[in-house]
Amino acid sequence: MMARSRLSPHWIVLGLLALAIVVVPNPIALAAPVEQHFRIEASAFQYTPEAIHVNPGDHVTLDLVSTDVVHGLYLDGYDLNVTADPGQTATLFFTADRAGSFRFRCSVTCGALHPFMIGKLNVGSNDLFWRAIGLGALAVVAGVWVMRPKGDRQ
Amino acid sequence: MKAERFALLFVIVLVIGVPLVAVLARSTSDTIEMHAQMADNGGWTPSNLTTQVGQPLHLRLTSDDVVHGFAVGQSIIPPVDVLPGQWTTTTLVFDQPGKYTFYCTRWCGPNHWRMRGTIEVTGTTSETITTTPPLYVTLNLDLDAPHPSEVVPDEKPSAIRGAALSVKRDRAAELDRTQSPAQLWQALKAAPETAALTDQQIWDLIAWTYRSRTTPERLAEGRQLYQQNCAACHGETGQGDGVIAPSLMKTPMPGMTMTGHETVAPINFMDAKNMLGASDAILEGKIIRGGMGTGMPYWGPIFTPAQIQALIDYLWTFQFGQ
Repeated sequence: MMARSRLSPHWIVLGLLALAIVVVPNPIALAAPVEQHFRIEASAFQYTPEAIHVNPGDHVTLDLVSTDVVHGLYLDGYDLNVTADPGQTATLFFTADRAGSFRFRCSVTCGALHPFMIGKLNVGSNDLFWRAIGLGALAVVAGVWVMRPKGDRQ
Repeated sequence: MKAERFALLFVIVLVIGVPLVAVLARSTSDTIEMHAQMADNGGWTPSNLTTQVGQPLHLRLTSDDVVHGFAVGQSIIPPVDVLPGQWTTTTLVFDQPGKYTFYCTRWCGPNHWRMRGTIEVTGTTSETITTTPPLYVTLNLDLDAPHPSEVVPDEKPSAIRGAALSVKRDRAAELDRTQSPAQLWQALKAAPETAALTDQQIWDLIAWTYRSRTTPERLAEGRQLYQQNCAACHGETGQGDGVIAPSLMKTPMPGMTMTGHETVAPINFMDAKNMLGASDAILEGKIIRGGMGTGMPYWGPIFTPAQIQALIDYLWTFQFGQ
């Protein structure tokens, strides 16, 4: 009986695939930064749109338009604040140099549900999440392959 | 036994003394506490104040709901913000008797402008101030009559192009405040000195006239007043599309007649047909008196005549470009 190699080629392929999933850079994140312009309407007690998505490095312009009372927008993580009166659009410029998900919230008391007036800024895709999904899927495929019926093995 | 009697005395003094001190403290303090709420929920409390000439009025202001502001109309007292959960203090001193209007300076809903109150100032003063009634009163103008312009320019008149015209630049230097641009256009069209100009050139000349009678400072002041007080309904670009406008445009049901309690769509200042038929006197009258059953507020007790003129100068920039 031939001595079986400890490291079969299959395991090497599997290891390389797993490594690729972990380290291959996200093509979206490598895209050149662009100018992004958003108009966010603030009303009691919501932002429309309530979530915006940019890529890291993008130059972002946020126009805050208030449609009823004085509202504000404080962006967590970037520590930026702006307030807008109805009829006076306020503008925020920033470079999205920090990746991740950040909450923005109303910074001016605007009524009873003011604390619940929140939105979200996504900078870049959630790489960790998608890489974890990839590794999980790879594990499932490998598991199915290992446990395939005996007769199929060469 | 002695200790029991002492305890009884202590409790009695406490029960009577503490409220007494509070009442005394309140009656001796001359600071007035004022609460601000949206107009729909009651506006200012209290909303009518009285004082005397030269006697300072101390106010402590807070908001019970959203951000408001406090200012006194036609006065140089700086406006203050009234924030929920915070107290703002301000002191008012009046050197002229009369009835003043105080008002909210931050848009706090469609009925923001209804958030007003009065301060009655009594007393005498040595100097007498004579006020002249606004032009629309002396001329007895009907402010509600439609005033369409019979002629409109093909493109937005330009003051720069108007200035480049060599014809009679000083002619129109003095503008008649009762005349609309359309009437001025007709007059220039008929005048022999300007008869050689094309229709558009006459409009450019009028644009230059309106632009050159004002100053950049006045336009900046008018722009600021417009943004703070008008843009919420009339729109930041003057097109009548402000953020409050959708709630004002209630189309009446078929067969219903206007009762005067409705609100209508805000005027579009970019609409040449409507604007060019209006004179300074009409615009001034509408600002002072308000819309009377259209939802347009009255600004007479708020703006000074100089502020109203600055605002009118700014309104013309929607029609007459640089």
